[in-house]
Amino acid sequence: MNIQTVINGKKISVNVKNDMRLLDFLRDELELTGTKEGCSEGECGACTVLIDGSPVNSCLVMAFQIDGKEVVTIEALDEDGNLNIIKDTFLEEGAPQCGFCMPGMVLSAKGLLDQNSNPTRSDVKEAISGNLCRCTGYTTIEDAILKSAKKLGGKNG
Amino acid sequence: MDKLNIVGKSSFRVDGIDKISGRSIYPQDIKLKEMFHAVTLRSTVPHATFTLNTEKASKMSGVVKIFTAHDVTGKNEHGVLFKDHQVFMDRKINRIGDPLALVVAETLKEAKVAMKEIEVLYNELPGVFCPLEAMNEDAPKIHGDSNIIANMKLEKGTVDFSKCDVVVENTFKVPMVEHAFLQPESAVSYIEDDKLVVISSTQYPHWDRFELSLALGLKEENIKVLNAAVGGAFGGREDITSQIHVALATKTLKKPVKITYGREESFLAHSKRHPMTIRMKIGALKDGKITAMKNEILADSGAYASWAPSVLRKAMTHSTGPYEIENVKVNAKSVYTNNPFTGAMRGFGATQVAVGYEQIIDQLAEELGISTYEIREKNILRIGSKTGTSQTMYNSVPVDRCLEAVKKEMEIIKKKPVNKDMLTGYGIALSIYGTGYGNGFPDVSSNIAKINSDGKIEIFSGFTEVGQGAKTVMAQIASEVFNTSSSNIIINCEDTDKVPDSGTAAASRQTYNTGNAVKKSCEKLKDIILNLAQKELGLNNNIGLEVKDELVYLRTLPSMEITFKDLFSKYKDELSSKGKFVAQTTQMDDLSQGAPYWPYGFNALGVKVEIDPATGRINVVDGVFAQDVGRAINPRLVEGQMDGGFVMGLGYALYEDINLVDGEIKNRKFSSYIIPTAKDMPTLKKIIIEDPEETGPFGAKGIGESVTIPAAPAILNAIYDASKVRFTKLPVTPIEFMKKFGNKYD
Repeated sequence: MNIQTVINGKKISVNVKNDMRLLDFLRDELELTGTKEGCSEGECGACTVLIDGSPVNSCLVMAFQIDGKEVVTIEALDEDGNLNIIKDTFLEEGAPQCGFCMPGMVLSAKGLLDQNSNPTRSDVKEAISGNLCRCTGYTTIEDAILKSAKKLGGKNG
Repeated sequence: MDKLNIVGKSSFRVDGIDKISGRSIYPQDIKLKEMFHAVTLRSTVPHATFTLNTEKASKMSGVVKIFTAHDVTGKNEHGVLFKDHQVFMDRKINRIGDPLALVVAETLKEAKVAMKEIEVLYNELPGVFCPLEAMNEDAPKIHGDSNIIANMKLEKGTVDFSKCDVVVENTFKVPMVEHAFLQPESAVSYIEDDKLVVISSTQYPHWDRFELSLALGLKEENIKVLNAAVGGAFGGREDITSQIHVALATKTLKKPVKITYGREESFLAHSKRHPMTIRMKIGALKDGKITAMKNEILADSGAYASWAPSVLRKAMTHSTGPYEIENVKVNAKSVYTNNPFTGAMRGFGATQVAVGYEQIIDQLAEELGISTYEIREKNILRIGSKTGTSQTMYNSVPVDRCLEAVKKEMEIIKKKPVNKDMLTGYGIALSIYGTGYGNGFPDVSSNIAKINSDGKIEIFSGFTEVGQGAKTVMAQIASEVFNTSSSNIIINCEDTDKVPDSGTAAASRQTYNTGNAVKKSCEKLKDIILNLAQKELGLNNNIGLEVKDELVYLRTLPSMEITFKDLFSKYKDELSSKGKFVAQTTQMDDLSQGAPYWPYGFNALGVKVEIDPATGRINVVDGVFAQDVGRAINPRLVEGQMDGGFVMGLGYALYEDINLVDGEIKNRKFSSYIIPTAKDMPTLKKIIIEDPEETGPFGAKGIGESVTIPAAPAILNAIYDASKVRFTKLPVTPIEFMKKFGNKYD
């Protein structure tokens, strides 16, 4: 079917198969391979993207379901500058190890910070509780998100 | 030691921003023109002979070819120690998940549809799933005429418990668990000129090339292995999985081929952590001095040996913990069963035995009426101590400092308010981990350091960045020698055509072994540069010449200088140097006496747990972790390992268990195999203990495995403190907790 959607700020009109997952549409059709597939059942969060600002597991969404919606992936150009600040802070805090969970983590972080500019550590844990990481123990990721909030708060205020 | 400029600083990861931005390329991200897709048909029964009928499937739409054992062009076998795996089965199925065939099709969907049409007729054989039963003479045999892969003994002094004032014994059971790296296995192969190229995520590209050459019947020089980004490994990427399959298809079809496993197949395909039954008996004198220990270890290796003897050796030699005990006797066995095969996983046998020795020492303290700190202080290894293998600890043995740091912090933690609705407990654990392959095995790393045409320093070494930060560490070591920023060092480690073999990213050996090779080669290259600069600058010797930021200058007259780039334009071929490092270990004797590993790393961990007495839910709410690192090349990376190792150990203690029914993994999804989330992770205070190791690069030791070992026993000791129930079987799930805790009051 034909869908109208906005991917990373770009309007597109495209035909998608009824049985295609959003994850496959992004990775195979648009070659946006920053979105990762870790479990295919919505448990690990490696495929997290933002749909109309909310973090969603793209393995559980069909491509046609993004008709009329806006999708942000890790490859998004950083129009408001927030994404780059989050990415830089992840680097500063030493958040990545193997890296496979990172794009999903960054987008869950953006989803949180766009809604809540002053999260507590407990808010952060809740926000990334659907993103599994086997390497880091999550601490540096939480630190990076809390520090990003401060930086963004500073920027916005 | 001279002042260090780069080593000891938390430089940003060299691969960091690409990973954060989704730009790092894992094999599943690769798409080539005219690329076929392949899926693996795996056995659904644990022990059987079988026949395959691929006729119908091979005629299905899009199918290019179905590969079976007949199509293997070299030897139909592989394996890290013994060649007991088959590329495709043709003799006998030994476990659920054994590869039977590979369907190659134009699209992934077509390959999957066709695979369902392959007919498999099984002639099932009786299986054996219990390692104890597997040792019976009449048990079904997996390979050959005995299921016992290894039977080892260790004897030091004479164990005589009648001479002890207090004796304690217990049996500990630790489960089979899964690495659960986030990136499932994937591999892509293609032909480039006359070479077969295989891209995968591996812990050891040179070993993969060797195994590929045997199975494909190709010379190693005709194969190139490229290591893509590796999405976690923890030992689970040491045994080869999809690489031979994909390469065989490309070799035969002359087209690019790709294989990517889903999560369930990943659970089936790679090794697991050895489940072990560990029987321990320990005796001490009234004053708390431990004088005797006797341990028996039985490990289930599943259907294949993988690293069974090596894991067992590490378990056996580490079963006395970081303690000096005069009289020790250990027997350790590893056996084949029809269960999933087990192999390397973070800690490699040393993780399992710590669950025993760190609990039994707490039991001993209780019997003696002394504190858990005091018993450890009385028995820990110190400079001059001898281990259970009679190896002398001659430098960098800061067990005491680790323990002291944790003791101090735990006093603070204990003063914090407690939740009165919960059972609260505090527990500590120490651990020991010996680096390297060990036991005299040649443990070699190599590096070539070069200056390139831009005057930049390049290092070439076949180590693997699995997420631990090896690329950043090697860059920091090189930049320290050359007095330049680590971002100026160009790292080459992924391509077997370009880099020398540096062994596995395993056994916590990369920082120590490859770090030493990098340092040696860089120091030699620096000498070459100084001598060439002396010549170019017309000096009568090279004294006082120094390098900084790709420039050589005379310290007494800094205007006298020459750039690396200028030197390259004249001395191109001379600006290269090789460095090699071989770890010093000896082969142990028949009673397992000798110096099997070096160096040893230590740590201490203290935790506070809260248990909901109504539900049995256990939370680790606070903790302090002191880790001996020799010297921290990059403190932030060290802390990242400490956090990550801890949480993996937490999963081992509280959640993780491969649920096997007649050899079948029932929980092969993240919805049923539970690994810790951010909500499970407490704030952990991390203390880095530096006590430079004389033979380490700038004094550094590896810590990748050490960091996971103390978590489970510390948590179990805290659970005991809270509930007065000693859990000897992992994991302590809420149900398991309530079963024993509830019974206490019955």
